[in-house]
Amino acid sequence: MTKQFLGAVMTSMLAGIIMSTTAVRIAAQGPPPPKNPPPPGWIDPRNPPKEDPNWSPVRTADGQPSIEGQWAQASDIITYSIEDPEAERAEHIAISGQRAMIGRPIIDPIDGKIPYQPWAAKYAAFLNEEHHRPSKPQYLDPVSRGFQDGLPRINYQGALQIQQFPNTVLITYDYHHSYRVIPLDGRPHIGGNIKLWMGDSRGHWEGNTLVIDVTNNNDQTWFDIVGAFHTDQLHMVERWTISAPDHMVYIVTIDDPKVYTQPWKLRVDFRRQKVDEQWESAVWEGNLVPELVFGGAKK
Amino acid sequence: MRRAVLAVALLMSLASIDAAAQAPSSPRGTDIPRTREGKPDFTGIWQVMNSAAWDIQDHQARKGVPAGIGVVDGNEIPYQPSALAKKRENFENRATADPETKCYLPGLPRLMYMPFPFQIFQAPGKMTMLFEYVHATRAIYTDGTPHPSGHIDWWLGDSRGRWEGDTLIVDDVDFNDETWFDRSGNFHSDQLHLVERFTPLDADHITYEVAVEDPKVFTRPWRMSMILYRHREATLQLLEYECYTFDNEFHVTPP
Repeated sequence: MTKQFLGAVMTSMLAGIIMSTTAVRIAAQGPPPPKNPPPPGWIDPRNPPKEDPNWSPVRTADGQPSIEGQWAQASDIITYSIEDPEAERAEHIAISGQRAMIGRPIIDPIDGKIPYQPWAAKYAAFLNEEHHRPSKPQYLDPVSRGFQDGLPRINYQGALQIQQFPNTVLITYDYHHSYRVIPLDGRPHIGGNIKLWMGDSRGHWEGNTLVIDVTNNNDQTWFDIVGAFHTDQLHMVERWTISAPDHMVYIVTIDDPKVYTQPWKLRVDFRRQKVDEQWESAVWEGNLVPELVFGGAKK
Repeated sequence: MRRAVLAVALLMSLASIDAAAQAPSSPRGTDIPRTREGKPDFTGIWQVMNSAAWDIQDHQARKGVPAGIGVVDGNEIPYQPSALAKKRENFENRATADPETKCYLPGLPRLMYMPFPFQIFQAPGKMTMLFEYVHATRAIYTDGTPHPSGHIDWWLGDSRGRWEGDTLIVDDVDFNDETWFDRSGNFHSDQLHLVERFTPLDADHITYEVAVEDPKVFTRPWRMSMILYRHREATLQLLEYECYTFDNEFHVTPP
């Protein structure tokens, strides 16, 4: 068992070295073009359309730029792997028959990879290896275990609705009835020892951009299925910019001094949808993924 | 003359004290927050102060359960005979049989009286309720739309509301048969039909009444009622009670 584990670690380390060499090469060349044809209306996060600087959005009764409505991502990003959607989805496609998505959301660094510190690159490689056949429930994707996505993953997990109230923005998500209440009144964050699955959000407006500071994250959420991870030192600054009547740009700066060598940025473009009723999305109640993988009765 | 004026003034002040004393039973004239459309504005953070989540009927204290005067009008629940037997069985097995012990969405109206805060956001045509307990949400549509067609098995049903004066009346159908009313085994089928009534008592209190109907389980409709209290703590916000995560093992990031 120990020998096997060490073997896995060695393999992961080797993989890490190969990956980092590849990363250097890609950084020099820029990311490869997608192998699959893009879907209709695709907005490439790494080559987005120019914004109109004179665009002026409708305002809410209390003067906020209005971003109310229903939005869904147009970036073709999957939650499977935010670093390498094409290469790493082979197994997923084989199982599910899904079309490979082509969006590469990480826009900084330009190679599209998470700038892990060396130890963290090894751990990420270990989790990536584990995701094929997890040895423990802890190495299953937390979302597949029925837990909340956390940020920013919930933003590219499915459609979302935004409602604006005086001094508050409310986001309700289609998936897993997750929600965020974002105060705009300048109140400080809650105490640092309170960790939350969805973090603690504080927002303010800068022109047409809603800037949200997110802290108090727990260390149990992943950015994708293959184990892109962070600790409870995760700190995010989200910028939601209404750039055209039906287009919103989301850029989040992600930092965690315990895990990354530098802050990195992820971009998602949202397109306005017809506002629809959000029907119940009970996730935990029927979820049997851990039981199917490891046996036993549902907890 | 002066004496007469004084007497009138005294009478008037007595009258105003009297009016103030009666104010809670009559919302008219009190400072209920209102929307631009003139409807009572329930925006805020609310919570019950009762032990209905453990037992909606009169009950003395048990270990871990506070005593409570029941919220059911008349205290008796009109079970059909076979349903009463099922309720008793549920009570005996409540420690594991209550679906809430599995952290499932607790159904209605139980979600409303779980001992956790919930937040209401009120917009024209739609009221959004967010709950700290398992981050549940409710959308109550007040735009005149009907329930969706067909029976749908939902944990929290489908809610359509309308205003009658200052009272919000909410009709709820499309429930599954997997939730209980409380930890004591009071239950329903998928034929559950609720009519909720939210009436402002004053700026910080809502009278919450529920008419319960289920032809598969009860012999006649019955009602419960309680008060929703507004949280006035300036810094309060909803946190998380992710019930289903507590019995799970988590991954540990190596140092």
